[in-house]
Amino acid sequence: MSLRAFGLAAAFVALMPVAAWAHGPTRQKYIDTIEINAPADKVWAVVGNFSDMSWNPMFAKTEAKGGNDVGATRDLISGSGSKIVQKLVKYDATKMALQYEVMEIDVKLLPVSGYESWLTVTPDGSKSKVEWKGKFYRAFVNNDPPPELNDDAALAAVTIEYRKGLEALKAKIEGGK
Amino acid sequence: MLKLRTVLKRAAAASVAALCLLGAIASARAEAPAGAGQTVDAEALVTNQGSDSLSFVDLATLKSVAEIKIGGKPAGIAVSADGAKAFVTSPEGKFLTVVDVKSRTVERRIAVDGGPLGVAANPVSGEVYVADWYSKTLTALDPITGAVRGRVEVGSSPSGLAVTADGALLLSADRDSDQVSIVDVASLKAITAIPVGKRPFGITLDPSGARAFTANVGSDDVTVVDLKTRKAVGRVPAGRLPYAIAFAGEKGFVTNQSGGTVTVFDATTLAVEKTIEVGDTPEGIAADASGRYIYVACWFANTLDRIDVATLTVTGQATVGDAPRAFGNFLVQAPAGK
Repeated sequence: MSLRAFGLAAAFVALMPVAAWAHGPTRQKYIDTIEINAPADKVWAVVGNFSDMSWNPMFAKTEAKGGNDVGATRDLISGSGSKIVQKLVKYDATKMALQYEVMEIDVKLLPVSGYESWLTVTPDGSKSKVEWKGKFYRAFVNNDPPPELNDDAALAAVTIEYRKGLEALKAKIEGGK
Repeated sequence: MLKLRTVLKRAAAASVAALCLLGAIASARAEAPAGAGQTVDAEALVTNQGSDSLSFVDLATLKSVAEIKIGGKPAGIAVSADGAKAFVTSPEGKFLTVVDVKSRTVERRIAVDGGPLGVAANPVSGEVYVADWYSKTLTALDPITGAVRGRVEVGSSPSGLAVTADGALLLSADRDSDQVSIVDVASLKAITAIPVGKRPFGITLDPSGARAFTANVGSDDVTVVDLKTRKAVGRVPAGRLPYAIAFAGEKGFVTNQSGGTVTVFDATTLAVEKTIEVGDTPEGIAADASGRYIYVACWFANTLDRIDVATLTVTGQATVGDAPRAFGNFLVQAPAGK
């Protein structure tokens, strides 16, 4: 499928595979971290299970293929039925780190394109630190984007997803579920 | 091969001696203002798109020694052949900034339309070329007066630029046309377009100047173009989302943005020799004139990593500003033989 230089309607962007953008709009990065009162391997058991992203409140359902093998994919479906498809590109159980990229995205969920993300768990004594970082472009890849698809909208959405996701992860693990 | 290694070792020894001497001179004159005729130490000028700035990294110590505000989300960079000026593109601000390297000051800003990203300096005439990502054109301008000599239409999303050593030809990687355009500098006319891999982004001439290599972000590989026959003659598989290429020690080095690695290949046989882990999201890459080191700007890690060419390992890094890209020729080389 050929990449177009001028992404137009949001629906069109939703159908595009991950954009191999090296430039056009400015790429953004975002990092969020949280400390969880649990040993690292317990946290990794949740975060490192690529087949299940139910700890992320953005999604109601995960449909996954391929387990934790590089190339595995997961369809993440929100309560309203919107979908994001992710592919696992790196997995290191020893370092407790995984990296995935987004293959398809409904910009109603996250107005981004060319999105890749890392989740890393680091032991901190009997506790753990989880770092979630991502790089992405706004959803509208041409000049003069509409406000809901511009750089600020992209960053705001990722900021909210990471914060809510990490807090939910912490609550889930510390709550002993 | 042995002979080459010996030559490289001797050159490296001379370079180290030269760098030490220059380092001593630099600290001695730290209090005095730089005057005409004084040499500049080897430095890397790193565009930091996130902090809107330009970092000056001293390569003898591998430390950032200055950071100046540029604005407009700087990304592309070219250094004049004499190392005196740097030309920085700001795609969001839509301007080209001319920086005086010695005094580390902004001399002027020249407005350029659309999305200026790729930039190159003519090594013979000093003319500067800026690629407009959105309008499919390259602009030739005088960096002192800002006067535009002319524009040439090339393919879609022209990205990386390269100029032949004789100053006669200008090449652009036309990312969304999957081609390299060759432009006659004197007439500013496009001579031909050569199909390469998918989404060529960075383009670099090899040290002989006989071939151009493109980093193809869409096909995760490198295309080799013969400039005499003007045809693609080879391909090197790279990592995920390659960005740019540099040459040292008869090897090519290509940054793989999503792999977090640099792929090393034999520049003649095109065989992949090694994949080196570097900082997160490596992008701009350049070779030190001595051939001893390769420098890589790591966008997510906010570092400039140094690869030792002899051992093909990362032997140091400097912390720079946020989101460094250094897309283009970003090294100010130490003068030889000092």
